[in-house]
Amino acid sequence: MFRRVLQLGLGPGLLTRGLSTRRGVSTLDWDAKVSEFKKKIECILPGKPWETQLYDTSHLPPEQSDVVIIGGGIFGLSVAFWLKKLEKKQDAIRVLVVDQDHTYSQASSAGLSVGGIWQQFSMPENVRLSLFSVEFLRNINEYLAVVDAPPVDLRFNPSGCLLLASEKDAAALENNVKIQRQEGAKVCLMSPEQLQNKFPWVNTEGVALASYGMENEGWFDAWSLLQGLRRKVRSMGVLFCQGEVTRFITSSSCVEGPNGEEMVLKRIHKLHVKMDKSLEYQPVECAIVINAAGAWSGHIAKLAGIGKGPPGTLQGTKLPVEPRKRYVYLWHCPQGPGLETPLVADTSGVYFRREGLGSNYLGGCSPTEEEEPDPANLEVDHDFFQNKVWPHLAQRVPAFQTLKVQSAWAGYYDYNTFDQNGVVGPHPLVVNMYFATGFSGHGLQHALGVGRAVAEVVLEGEFKTINMSPFLFTRFYLEDKLQEYNIL
Amino acid sequence: MLKIILPSIMLLPLTWFTNNKTLWTNTTCHSLMISLISLSLLHQDSTNSYNFSTTFFSDPLSTPLVILTTWLLPLMLLASQNHLSKEQENYKKMYISLLTLLQVFLIMTFTATELMLFYILFEATLIPTLIIITRWGNQTERLNAGLYFLFYTLIGSIPLLISLINFNNTFGTLNLVLLSLKQPALSQSWSNHILWLAFMLAFLVKMPLYGVHLWLPKAHVEAPIAGSMVLAAVLLKLGGYGMMRISILLDMVNKTMAYPFIMLSLWGMVMTSSICMRQTDLKSLIAYSSVSHMALVIVAVMIQTPWSFMGATALMIAHGLTSSLLFCLANSNYERTHSRTMMLAQGLQTILPLMGVWWMLGSLANLALPPSINLIGELLIITSSFSWSNLSILMMGMNMIMTAAYTFYMLISSQRGKLTNHTKFLPPTHTRESTIMSLHIIPIILISINPKLILGLP
Repeated sequence: MFRRVLQLGLGPGLLTRGLSTRRGVSTLDWDAKVSEFKKKIECILPGKPWETQLYDTSHLPPEQSDVVIIGGGIFGLSVAFWLKKLEKKQDAIRVLVVDQDHTYSQASSAGLSVGGIWQQFSMPENVRLSLFSVEFLRNINEYLAVVDAPPVDLRFNPSGCLLLASEKDAAALENNVKIQRQEGAKVCLMSPEQLQNKFPWVNTEGVALASYGMENEGWFDAWSLLQGLRRKVRSMGVLFCQGEVTRFITSSSCVEGPNGEEMVLKRIHKLHVKMDKSLEYQPVECAIVINAAGAWSGHIAKLAGIGKGPPGTLQGTKLPVEPRKRYVYLWHCPQGPGLETPLVADTSGVYFRREGLGSNYLGGCSPTEEEEPDPANLEVDHDFFQNKVWPHLAQRVPAFQTLKVQSAWAGYYDYNTFDQNGVVGPHPLVVNMYFATGFSGHGLQHALGVGRAVAEVVLEGEFKTINMSPFLFTRFYLEDKLQEYNIL
Repeated sequence: MLKIILPSIMLLPLTWFTNNKTLWTNTTCHSLMISLISLSLLHQDSTNSYNFSTTFFSDPLSTPLVILTTWLLPLMLLASQNHLSKEQENYKKMYISLLTLLQVFLIMTFTATELMLFYILFEATLIPTLIIITRWGNQTERLNAGLYFLFYTLIGSIPLLISLINFNNTFGTLNLVLLSLKQPALSQSWSNHILWLAFMLAFLVKMPLYGVHLWLPKAHVEAPIAGSMVLAAVLLKLGGYGMMRISILLDMVNKTMAYPFIMLSLWGMVMTSSICMRQTDLKSLIAYSSVSHMALVIVAVMIQTPWSFMGATALMIAHGLTSSLLFCLANSNYERTHSRTMMLAQGLQTILPLMGVWWMLGSLANLALPPSINLIGELLIITSSFSWSNLSILMMGMNMIMTAAYTFYMLISSQRGKLTNHTKFLPPTHTRESTIMSLHIIPIILISINPKLILGLP
C-alpha cells in the first residue's frame, strides 16, 4: 500500500517531468534555477562558508561622504586634519581621502621631498604660511597627539636657508627681505665679506648680496610628518581609500552674471573611484570635492570639465598644474662645508643642503624650460648632474670638486606653469570643487597653513586667519601673476 | 468605511496599469480625492461612535488619524518624485504600491473594531515600511536601521499577541464597541501587572518611550523621504492610539503600573531635547525632536484624565503634520547639497527665500507657538500633568525651553549665517516643493481655527 502510494506520488511527477522534457527546451530553464536556489539556501545555512555568495567590499569607499579629498599627500591630509579640527561638533562632517597609491611611491611631499622650510619669499602670504608651518612643527606633538602612539620625531634641523644673489637680483632680494621682516621672519642681509666670514667654504665670486634666515628655517623629515598626520587624521575619523578617481557626475545650470552674460555653473554630485588593477569602481555621492592631487591635479581638473571652452573665457581657463620631473642627488664629500651648512640656493639656481651627520649632502637644480625632462617616468638622468649641477656646485663651494655621488632619485613637482605659486580656494564655475595644489616645489612647507585656509573656506565661507585670496583660481583668467623671486 | 478602503486598494491597479508619463499625476490626484472622501468621517451622528459595520468603526479619536493618513499619501508621492526620477519604471511603481499598501493597512488599523484585527494590521504595517527603508534608503547604514526597526517593534509585539489572546479567552470578546459598554475589573495581582506590561510594551516601543527609542533615529535618518514622513507622522501615532484603546481594558492596574513609565517619559523628554542641541545631522535632529514630543503624549495617555486625552490627540495630529513638514524641508536641503550635515548648508535664507518662509513656519509650529494646535496639545498635557503632580511642571518647563532652543538652533544654522561657496549656487525651489510645504501648513492653520476637530471629544 505504501509502495503504491509512493508510486502514485512519483507517477504524476514523472509524467509532468516527462511532458516538459518532451515539449522541448523550457525557456525558463527551471531546473537550473532550482539548483541555483538550492545552492544559495545551502550557503545561508549555518556551518557553511558564505563568503562565496557575499562579496567582500571592505576595500571600497563608502557610498556617501560629505567631503571627498582627492589626493592623500601632505595637502590632502592637511585639509582633512583642519576640517576635522575646525568642525564645531565632533563627527559633524564625513571626510573621505582618496589616494591612488597608499605606499606614496610617487608622492611629491613624502619620501622624495627635500624637506626644506624657509620664509624667504616675496609674497607676504607665503611668508605667513611658512611661519605658521614652523609654529605647527615646533608644537607638532600637541597637534598630532594620538592616544598610545609614539610622538612624531621630525628631526628638524634649524640650520637656516642662505639665498645668494648676483648684481642684477640684489635689489629684488633686498626688497623681499624687507617684506619678510615686516611679516615677522628673522632674516639678515650679508655682504660678500660678511658671507666669507660666516661661511669660509663659500666662494663669493659673483655674489653681490646674500640673505640668511636666522630662525625657523632649515629642513625636516617629510615622511614622518606625513605618517604622523595620517595617524592623527585616521584617529579623528577620516576614512581612507586607495583608488583612482575616474569620473565626475555633474549637473549644470545656466545663470545670468552681473553684467548680463550667461554663465554655466556646474555642481559635482558623484565621483567614481576605480580600484587598483581592476575594473571595479564605486560611485561616491559627495557634497564637496577638494582637489589636492599634487602633480595630477591638472588631470583631475580636466575630468571635472574645467577648461572645456573657448580659450580666453573663464570656462576655457584650464588649471595650469602639470607634473614636472626634478632630480635630487645625494653625494658624499668629506672635505665639504661641514655641520654648519644651511640650505644654500645659488645664483645659478643650484641648491644643496647637508644630509645626516656623515658628510653627505643632497641637492639639485631646476632645469630651464628647454631642458625639461619627460615626466612620463621617474628615471634619473645622471648626465644632468655632471653637466648642469656639478660645475656650479664646484664653482660656489670649491670643496665640492672632489665629491662622489652616492645615489639619486627623481620626483614630481606639481608645477604651476602660470606663475609657480599655489592655487587655493574654490573654482568660480564648478561650485563645489576647492583647490589646494600647484605649489611647485615649496608645497610641503605651506601645506599646513593652506589646509587650514581651505578648511575655513569650506566651513565658514571665507579665509579667516591667512587671507589667501591672491591665490584663487580666478587669477588665471584675469592674467594676474604672482611672481616669486626664487624657485628652488 | 469601505468608501475609503476600496478606492485605496484600487490605487494599486492604478499604479501598475497607468501610462508611464502620467504615473505621478494619476496617483497623486486620486489619492488626494480619497483624502477628501475621508473628511466625511468628521460628521458624527451618535455621541459614541460612528459604526459602519461590525468590522470598522470610527470615533472622534480615530477620525483625525485616518484623515491624517489619507492626507499624507499625496504629500508623500509629491515628495518622492525627485529621488525616484532616475529609477526604472517598475521600481517606481513598486515604491508607490508599497506606500499605498501601507496606507490601506493604516486606515484599517485606525478603524478596526476588533483588537485582534487591529493587532494583525499593526504588524502588517511593519513590512512595507521595512522594505521602503532597506531598499530605497541612501546610506549603507539603512540595513542596520531596518534591523533595529523591525526587531524592536516585533519584540514588543509578541507579548501583545499573547495577552490579547488570553484576554479574549478570559473575557470573551475583543470588540471595542462591546468593551466600552462593560469594562473588565482587573485586580491588582502580579500576573495582572505583567499583563499590563505585555499589553503596553508594543505601544511604548512604537511611541517610542525613552529607554527603547534607539530604533527611531536610525530608521528616520536612513529612510527615504516618504518613509520618514509616514514614520514620523502616522506610525508613531499607532502607538498612542493603541495605548488609548487598550487602557479601557486595564483600568485598575493602570493606576500603579503607569508610574515608572511616566517618570521615564518625563526624563526622556528632557534628555532627547538636550541631545537635539548636539546633533550635526539635520534629519537626526528632527528624529530626536519626534521622540521628545511623543514622550509628552505618553505622559498624557498614562495620566488618563479627559484633558490629557484631548491634549494627546491634539498633539499627535499637530506633531504628525509638523514633523512631516520638517522632514520635507530637510529633504529639500539634502537633494541640493547631497549631504545631511547642517554645517554644510548654512545661510540659505538669502538664496532660497520662499523656502525660508516654510522653514520659519515649520519651526514656529514645532516649538508650539500660539495659537497653533501644537500649543493646544502641549498646553492641555502640561496642565493636566501639573494637576496630577505639581513637580512635573519642572520637567515640562525645561522641555519647552529646550524645544524652543533646538528649534531655533536648527532654523538659524540652516537659514542665517554666511553662505559658503558651494551653497551659493543651489538650484531654486521647485513649485512642487512649495506645494508640499503649503499643503502641510494649511491644515495646521485651518485646524488652529477650529481645534475641536482634533481634540477627541465626542
